[in-house]
Amino acid sequence: MEPVIKGSISKNLPERLLRFFNRYPPEKYSSLVRPKPDPETTPTADSSTLPSPYIANRDAKGAHKEDPRAPSAARGLLWSRPNLPNPFLPRKIGKRWVGAEIGLRRQAELVKMAKKYNIEALLPPGRKSTEFKQTRLAERGLTVKGTGVGQKVKGHRWERTMETRLEDRRKAMMEMPETVRMWKQRGHGRGWKKWPKR
Amino acid sequence: MAKKSKSRTVAVRLISMAMTGYYRTMIRPRTHRPLSMLKYDPVVKKQVLFLEATKGGRNK
Repeated sequence: MEPVIKGSISKNLPERLLRFFNRYPPEKYSSLVRPKPDPETTPTADSSTLPSPYIANRDAKGAHKEDPRAPSAARGLLWSRPNLPNPFLPRKIGKRWVGAEIGLRRQAELVKMAKKYNIEALLPPGRKSTEFKQTRLAERGLTVKGTGVGQKVKGHRWERTMETRLEDRRKAMMEMPETVRMWKQRGHGRGWKKWPKR
Repeated sequence: MAKKSKSRTVAVRLISMAMTGYYRTMIRPRTHRPLSMLKYDPVVKKQVLFLEATKGGRNK
């Protein structure tokens, strides 16, 4: 993997990216050299693990909230070596948390720049990477309820019954010429038997 | 006291047979046969059959 990594960094990159890669060489820090996430501890974003939209009061006060530290597919991407701490992630030293060496604003700028040169994979994994954002989006859905993978909302009654109503209407309109013919034949309603119920 | 007499006419509802839920109300003599006519239904944008519907659907 190393020759590929080294080969893709050319001298044409902006000064800032070159400085970054000089300090954090991709062969040690990039998301390419990340070990495969353990499937037991990091679940993938599939519909079975998502919260059901049909559970009543899930947003209510006192309702069970999802643990923000629980392992997830998106969380599994944020990875750091103990001896080479990821500059994009905060780390714990003893009992104390130390902030990321490169803050979120600078991370976003670096990611944007790297995307422009198609070398985003050479950056260390972080919250601003496309991969992380996509995984998290699939996991949570948009902020609109029911738009995530395998999620749906109950909807209004008119939305739930729309399909059958349109089908009924379509069928009735298909039979309309025949109905009108029968109606005319039976003396414009004189011999009509099937009157609708109100 | 004498029972109040029924009115000579009744208001009836003519329901579109296109199953759109669209209807028109009309007034007919109580003794007249149920109304039915071809009328325009704005939902399907066509002239369709409208039939009278009464409570319980007991028309003669």
